[in-house]
Amino acid sequence: MMTPRPILSALRRHKIAAFLIVLEIALAFAIVSNAVYLVMGRLQRMDIHSGIDERDLVTLQISSSGNAGVPSAEADLAALRTIPGVQSASAVNSLPFTNSSWNSDFTKTPGQDATGYPATIYLGSRDLLPTLGVKILAGRGFSSDQYTDLTPATMLSAFFKPTQVIVSKAYAEQLWPGGNAVGKLLYVDKSQGQIVGVMSNIVRPQLSDSGTDPSNFYAVVLPFRVGPDLDASYVLRAAPAARERVLKAAVTKLQAMHPTQTVTKQATLSQMRREYFANDRAMAWLLVSTILALLGVTAIGIVGLASFWVQQRTRQIGVRRALGARRRDILRYFQTENFLLATAGIALGCAAAIGINVWLMAHYAVPRLPIIYLPIGAVALWLLGQLAVLGPALRAARVAPTVAMRAA
Amino acid sequence: MLEMREVSKVYRTETVETHALRGFSLKVDEGEFVAVTGPSGSGKTTFLTIAGLLEDFTRGEYLLDHVNVHGMNDNQRSRLRNEKIGFVFQAFNLIPDLNVLDNVEVPLHYRHMSGGERRKRALAALERVGLSARLKHYPAELSGGQQQRVAIARALAGGPRLLLADEPTGNLDTAMARGVMELIEEIHREGATIIMVTHDPELAARAQRNVHIVDGMATGVSEEPRFHPGLRERTAGDVSLPRS
Ligand SMILES: Nc1ncnc2c1ncn2[C@@H]1O[C@H](COP(=O)(O)OP(=O)(O)O)[C@@H](O)[C@H]1O
Ligand SMILES: [Mg+2]
Repeated sequence: MMTPRPILSALRRHKIAAFLIVLEIALAFAIVSNAVYLVMGRLQRMDIHSGIDERDLVTLQISSSGNAGVPSAEADLAALRTIPGVQSASAVNSLPFTNSSWNSDFTKTPGQDATGYPATIYLGSRDLLPTLGVKILAGRGFSSDQYTDLTPATMLSAFFKPTQVIVSKAYAEQLWPGGNAVGKLLYVDKSQGQIVGVMSNIVRPQLSDSGTDPSNFYAVVLPFRVGPDLDASYVLRAAPAARERVLKAAVTKLQAMHPTQTVTKQATLSQMRREYFANDRAMAWLLVSTILALLGVTAIGIVGLASFWVQQRTRQIGVRRALGARRRDILRYFQTENFLLATAGIALGCAAAIGINVWLMAHYAVPRLPIIYLPIGAVALWLLGQLAVLGPALRAARVAPTVAMRAA
Repeated sequence: MLEMREVSKVYRTETVETHALRGFSLKVDEGEFVAVTGPSGSGKTTFLTIAGLLEDFTRGEYLLDHVNVHGMNDNQRSRLRNEKIGFVFQAFNLIPDLNVLDNVEVPLHYRHMSGGERRKRALAALERVGLSARLKHYPAELSGGQQQRVAIARALAGGPRLLLADEPTGNLDTAMARGVMELIEEIHREGATIIMVTHDPELAARAQRNVHIVDGMATGVSEEPRFHPGLRERTAGDVSLPRS
């Protein structure tokens, strides 16, 4: 068995080649650990739990402009509910996985100087929460007499009246950690709302870059009915497996009711999620390809150098065998050598990985690289190195001891 | 120490079959110094590779230390090579990337031995060949004679009972060859069995016994061990280590 010291001494006689491979491993380590982290971030974001029953939901929107005037949400919804397979329907100001949302900073005390906590606002009729599949966890839902119609004309005044509010669990937790939010007051400037219930988390339409950011779930619901004049959409809950058919029928029905207007949006929530994360998916694939390419190039570099060294050292391998090295001693020599090179590369790469991360943090709002990615990257490169060196090392182990006597 | 009976070695390539050894028989006693001579291509090196367990043979029987080595697996052979046999090659075969001390330690890495013990043994072996002052030198920085002495130190470090040398002075000028030869004689005097292939009749004459190989067969084996002429002179006087 070889101890590392003579292997290191021998490597010192091949500084340039050793340095180049160490550099290659360091670079691969630094980029791969950061890239893996970025991929994980994208995957986490794509995997976010929306809090609504995406699988059975469809949405459609009709334009508010047209010769026939603004369509009435109530009339439209009544018609849509008659479609077989529609279990419930509501209008809503915005939905997860869209790019438009209403947001506000709510404060726990009235006035402009109070510290605000941003949350997204969902507006809709009494049917909204059951349609989405959002549950009341504490307190209660809005009483029927709370609901008012919101139109462009009534908007300002409506918001200045005291109202009731339902907040998401995450938001309640943020505002009153460990406490009970029901009954508490919230303000936007001087407008006041009283929390009547806490609902299960529902994701905000526009997600932050991080899938784990709790503010993704800061949401409130206000008892305002909205319609196409406020660019609201209709959201329908379909019976299991009926969503495609329901969506088609809903579009046909809306077009029949409003022949001069166009249906500007029609999609299942699953489609919307897919489209919403299209960039994340593309980026994840790009990063994965980069990772694989880098690892591939590194492996090729290791195989190349190891093969060269095995060939160059054929005679000394024969001599070592003659002097009593077993095949496995030769195998282990090259494996140990590779392990030492990989370790040097990983050590150098740690510094580079942190450097790249700092640069990304400065330029691309990427969060700090969690330390766990360094050992993960290290294990990956150690394994890669061992895998890459195995072929050449096995070839070395097969060198016949007679080479010591024969080779010219 | 070593006994070969009717050993044959056939090298097969796609087109030719070479009978490198044909019914080769030889017995070497413990402590003997045997010189092997013969024309080029007669099978001398083949004999050494088989004697040194570097490769197996085709037919016959080979006992090393009364143990039949035929059919031993690679690990067993490696261990025997490591423990019992020292090799000295014509081309020195030092590892160019290792310094003198590390080179001498190489065979010791293949047995269970502490670093300290390894170091001690290597230093002793280098002391014995008179190269204690060159520990940190690399092979390329040494003369041929010095390199061969490092190689001998490497062979000695493991404390082998059998030293196999294939034309150990073949690449050396006369003065350096003499130094190396004297060293080998000294090792013999200290009890090792030595088998040395050589082209040089003068060197062969200094062995106790000559084996002549022609066409893969041992001929002219002088069964009467001659007394070593060099030995008589040197045991009488002071033993000084040769320097090249
Ligand atoms: N690996 C081999 N493959 C084929 N033929 C070989 C091989 N090694 C040696 N020979 C042949 O065996 C014969 C004996 O070679 P060798 O033992 O090296 O002779 P010597 O050392 O006496 O010059 C030669 O004809 C040589 O060409
Ligand atoms: Mg030869």
